[in-house]
Amino acid sequence: MEKGKISSLQMAFLMYPTIVATAVLGVPSITAKYAKTDLWLSPILASLIGFATVYIAYKLHKLYPKQTVIQFSEQIIGRVPGKILSFLFLFFYIPITGQILRSYGEFIVDSFLVKTPISVIMASMVLLCAFIVRGGIEVLGRAAQLFVPVFILPLLLLIILLGADLEFKNIFPILGNGIMPPIKGSIIPGGWFSEFFLMIFLLPFLTDMKKGMKYGMMTVFAVMMTLVVVNLIVLFVLGSTTSTKIYPMMNVSRYISLADFFEHLESAIMAVWIVGAFVKISVFYYAAALGTAQWLNLSDYRPVVWPIGILIVEFSFWSYPSSMDVSRYDIVAFPFHGVLMQTIIPLLLLVIALIGKRNRQRKGSNSS
Amino acid sequence: MNNSWRQTRILWKVKRRHFTKSVLLLLGICGAAPFLSGCWDRTEITDLAIVTAAAIDKKDSNQIELSVQVFIPSSISSGGGQGGTSQEGGGVTTLVRSEKGSNISDALSKLQSKLPRKIFWGHCKVFVFGEKLAKEGIQEQLDFLLRHPQPREKANMYVSKGKAKPILESLPPLENYSGEVLRELSDLHIGMLVTLQDLDEMLTGKPQAAALPVVKILPPGKGQKKLQGIPYIVGTAVLKKDKMTGTMTEKETRGLLWLRDEMESYTVTFQPKGVKGEISLNPVTAQVKIIPQIINEKWKVLVKVKTEGAVIQNGTNLNLSSPKSLKAAERAYQKDIEKRIEMAFLHTQDKKADILGLGKDFYRKYPKQFNQIENHWNDIFAKMEVEIDVVAHIRRQGYINKPAGLSENEVKDK
Repeated sequence: MEKGKISSLQMAFLMYPTIVATAVLGVPSITAKYAKTDLWLSPILASLIGFATVYIAYKLHKLYPKQTVIQFSEQIIGRVPGKILSFLFLFFYIPITGQILRSYGEFIVDSFLVKTPISVIMASMVLLCAFIVRGGIEVLGRAAQLFVPVFILPLLLLIILLGADLEFKNIFPILGNGIMPPIKGSIIPGGWFSEFFLMIFLLPFLTDMKKGMKYGMMTVFAVMMTLVVVNLIVLFVLGSTTSTKIYPMMNVSRYISLADFFEHLESAIMAVWIVGAFVKISVFYYAAALGTAQWLNLSDYRPVVWPIGILIVEFSFWSYPSSMDVSRYDIVAFPFHGVLMQTIIPLLLLVIALIGKRNRQRKGSNSS
Repeated sequence: MNNSWRQTRILWKVKRRHFTKSVLLLLGICGAAPFLSGCWDRTEITDLAIVTAAAIDKKDSNQIELSVQVFIPSSISSGGGQGGTSQEGGGVTTLVRSEKGSNISDALSKLQSKLPRKIFWGHCKVFVFGEKLAKEGIQEQLDFLLRHPQPREKANMYVSKGKAKPILESLPPLENYSGEVLRELSDLHIGMLVTLQDLDEMLTGKPQAAALPVVKILPPGKGQKKLQGIPYIVGTAVLKKDKMTGTMTEKETRGLLWLRDEMESYTVTFQPKGVKGEISLNPVTAQVKIIPQIINEKWKVLVKVKTEGAVIQNGTNLNLSSPKSLKAAERAYQKDIEKRIEMAFLHTQDKKADILGLGKDFYRKYPKQFNQIENHWNDIFAKMEVEIDVVAHIRRQGYINKPAGLSENEVKDK
């Protein structure tokens, strides 16, 4: 089905923007709503879900090294329940790709292309992603390797250029209202960290499978650090107004003004952000297309790429009437939906698989 | 024979398919090119009315008046090469249009019908609220400025004395347009510098009080044209929640800048004890630390100031080269700063609005205690005691070491 191979470093490069791209945009403000000045502690707590998810994904992968979750769930819980569970996974990943696409489109329409119809923005992005998904995992991996450094650069640049506007005092009081606010605030980024389960679709194609776990954990750590830094910058610049902004990162990059002429840089910074969104949508899209083909026992996943692209665009329209609903989904449903589908169910699968394996081993030793 | 003919036929078929494919691809690329340039809905600079400053006034019966100062690009390009001669003759580089409406966006849509170009906010760096509007509340108008993607968070905010529109209409002789005058004056830190982001933060933060610089028109001198007055900063408006409740004079504002540690390019003039005349210091640098304290349930503020300056004028007969008289001068300098800060603190307490952001400082240090009294913070602030601790030094004395124009025996070493 997929003959390409990627290195585990490329996998890390794929996973990093997959989490960070949308997390840097809206999550600081959602976190600030609950955690107030402690919003930078929340990603640290939330990353526990990320570490757990990577661990579960890697353990499952070790039991079934050549298969994705769509294939081995049949082997773990039987053919029919496995098919139903795989369908639930697909029914999670395809709409969620639509949701990511919609939030990308809403952001572009909100801030830059005010008059362009959102369908054009979303369809052109899906078209581009479809090409790269059809190109296979190798193309995807190499593109990510090329783009991710470009994606990280503006984040570093932001810190330097905003130097004069950072109000470090805003960080106090630390834990002024106890530990509860940052814990509450960590539930929402937790949903993002659970997305690390997408690794399960990439792990079978690694050239150096043993390093999969190491690079996965490193990526979780990198994502956590990025979110902590971004949350701190946002807090230092926006202070108590953080929670009122929809895209705090955008407001922060608009605030850059160096020597009266080095300003209005937000379009440059956000153009780079689109690169991250592109990688994110591509990885989700790839998982959805590969999963669907495996679910239908097709010999190749390429023929389903276009139909799924159409489905993704449709889901992005069907599911949400307005941008307020998109972010409401992020706050109300996704932290639970995402963690359930990507951390808790895989954990149950792993437990069942391990029990089954032990039973088989016991049977084997009994008979011999 | 037959077989080879069939082979060539297949080969030819493959070739033809390849050919059609490349032709289609080429057509596709050529077809996409005109759209990719994005030229069909381009917005050139000549299609935009670039707003350089905006003023919002209250009109009667729930109406506001929005005035925008729009930059005229041709005024600059035609004057090119002459290097500013166009301004000397009072060349007009901006025009002011205004329109009434129930809120900014309503007025804006009406205003657009009076301007042949599309209104563009991206370069608007100055927003002036009229006094009347500020007294009735600016929250509703603030929402537009923060929600609309074009106005910048870094724009400077002002309150005008009286109506705001004349400030935009004035034609300053030195700068291109009045918005620029205000921006430059703010950059010199003559008065407070408050950006849109700062204002939003002050209003949403703990103290729920804000301060904005007040601008007024300096009347034109004799022989100048009527509109040639320039706007300048005269003090500070005090806002409780989003409503203006009072003003502070220029002198009080300077004290306020001391307390907020925003003081820059400052001159201090004081009179040492027991001598005639005054000593002036410039530039003066200062580090101000505000330390909130709760001692025995009593809320108190400790202001620690470290300041130093260089003598720029010495009108006394003290020889500052001698350590004794230097000490005396430093003591007087320290007393003067103490008095300034105390006055400024008392003045802000008078207004019962925490424009110093002390509430924030207290919250940062004592979050639990602050949460308990948050509702009557303003009363606590108004009664709060202040302790001022100033360390003042005179570091340099310029090019001469004795008071100028005095003979040896007139100079006192003390």
